[in-house]
Amino acid sequence: MDAYFYIILVVGLLSTAVCLAAGILKKAPNDVTILSVAAVEVALLVYLVGSVIRVVAGEAIAGEAWEFWGYLVTAMLLPPAAVYWSILERTRWSNFVLAAVGVTALVMAARMNQIWY
Amino acid sequence: MKDQHTTTAGQDHAGSSASNSRNTGPGRLLIAIYAVFAISASARAGYQILTKFSEAPLAYLLSAFAAVVYVVATVSLAKAGSTWFKVSVAAVLVELVGVLVVGALSLFDPVQFPHETVWSLFGRGYAFIPLLLPILGLVWLYRRRPEARTSA
Repeated sequence: MDAYFYIILVVGLLSTAVCLAAGILKKAPNDVTILSVAAVEVALLVYLVGSVIRVVAGEAIAGEAWEFWGYLVTAMLLPPAAVYWSILERTRWSNFVLAAVGVTALVMAARMNQIWY
Repeated sequence: MKDQHTTTAGQDHAGSSASNSRNTGPGRLLIAIYAVFAISASARAGYQILTKFSEAPLAYLLSAFAAVVYVVATVSLAKAGSTWFKVSVAAVLVELVGVLVVGALSLFDPVQFPHETVWSLFGRGYAFIPLLLPILGLVWLYRRRPEARTSA
């Protein structure tokens, strides 16, 4: 597990905790929950940029390269999709949808780390 | 915080008020989780079949089958109407049977099912969500069943 994973671990868990709390408190998605999901997207973006730099610098991915990039791209689609989905219906349940993004990104980042090393 | 159900109600299915109620509130969370499983199961099955199908055809066909079930469940849960309701019930029931049967088989006959599928060991590789999901799905579908309008 590298630093990219731990960044996503922290940001993802924080985002999930914030969104879960907001959902439990019966709040509709607000700036805080949506920005926390945006932070997950930024963390994934850091992972993307870092990985591109490493590959360009000559580092090899141990596993299937296209599987790694597939995971990364799919993970990066999740936050926008969840935010869009949550804006369509602004109820507390949408916060639980947003909460799912952090953990999902975390699991996918763990898998990406496995593929890389 | 304003319009809770006004947006989805009364679009095209104004006739039966219950038909649109499955994709709001908790239903949205359910659909979102199903969507994540549909995507991940499809990707995984596609990967398994494309790269190493001959290693374990049965397990990988099961993976593909599970992926199809998740896709059907996701779409049908999001759609309104009593026909889609029946499709949802069927998909979720198949999913429940699938996770129970495959889970049991992978436990008692690991020789025949050595390769991972979403449903292996009752979905342990996915935090047992595959086992929980169909139960929640059935509860949800039961609570939002179309008002008794017969038609088998």
